Amino acid sequence: MSRVTFAEKRIQKELMALKNDPPVGVTLDDSSLTNIYRWRVHIEGAENTLYEGEHFILDFKFTAKYPFESPQVVFLGPIIPVHPHVYSNGHICLSILTEDWSPAMSVESVCLSIVSMLSSCKEKKRPPDNSVYVRTCSKNPKDTNWWYHEL
Amino acid sequence: MKVKIKKWTGVAVWKWTANDDSCGICRMPFEACCPDCRIPGDDCPLVWGQCSHPFHIHCIMKWLSSQQMAAAQLCPMCRQGWRFR
Repeated sequence: MSRVTFAEKRIQKELMALKNDPPVGVTLDDSSLTNIYRWRVHIEGAENTLYEGEHFILDFKFTAKYPFESPQVVFLGPIIPVHPHVYSNGHICLSILTEDWSPAMSVESVCLSIVSMLSSCKEKKRPPDNSVYVRTCSKNPKDTNWWYHEL
Repeated sequence: MKVKIKKWTGVAVWKWTANDDSCGICRMPFEACCPDCRIPGDDCPLVWGQCSHPFHIHCIMKWLSSQQMAAAQLCPMCRQGWRFR
């Protein structure tokens, strides 16, 4: 019998919490769950923002080092929000997903940070380097050396 | 041999004195142990940072050792440099 690992216990706890008590605008996609290391979460654009009424899907991949290592998080197509920090391939430039990750963060807090990143947007446009980036980047956004800017 | 407990009498309770109920890293209650331990108590103690945030010692040690650069060894809750209290 194999023991349930640290990562699995923590992911399982979050799974139950998100199923039973999700924050407004965040829904776990149960039907997509084949193993606990990969989740799909649906998020809705907040009211009174540029994304009100829009609906997006986030793809979460965890490693056995979670929560000491951040999850890999990307938007899943076909609808990728048009936002200065979101590339058309779904990659997100957000520091908490790499160097500013903390093991006290969670799927829920990541989803809320992304909704809040969308909410503060003033003009819907792609990042200025979108076309070069999507042609040259790795499949895993965590392999990118992100340069984070305020804004 | 199987033993069936019919009755038991508790004579004392113990509790960690912490501001929070659960460890911010593993999300287990402080009265329980971290996911890698089996028995709560002295074998899986809490430690506090100078910032006053408590964690299971095994949890915070896993986090600190996963951060190679000393500058990145921050409290998971408040991001101040981690120092044991």
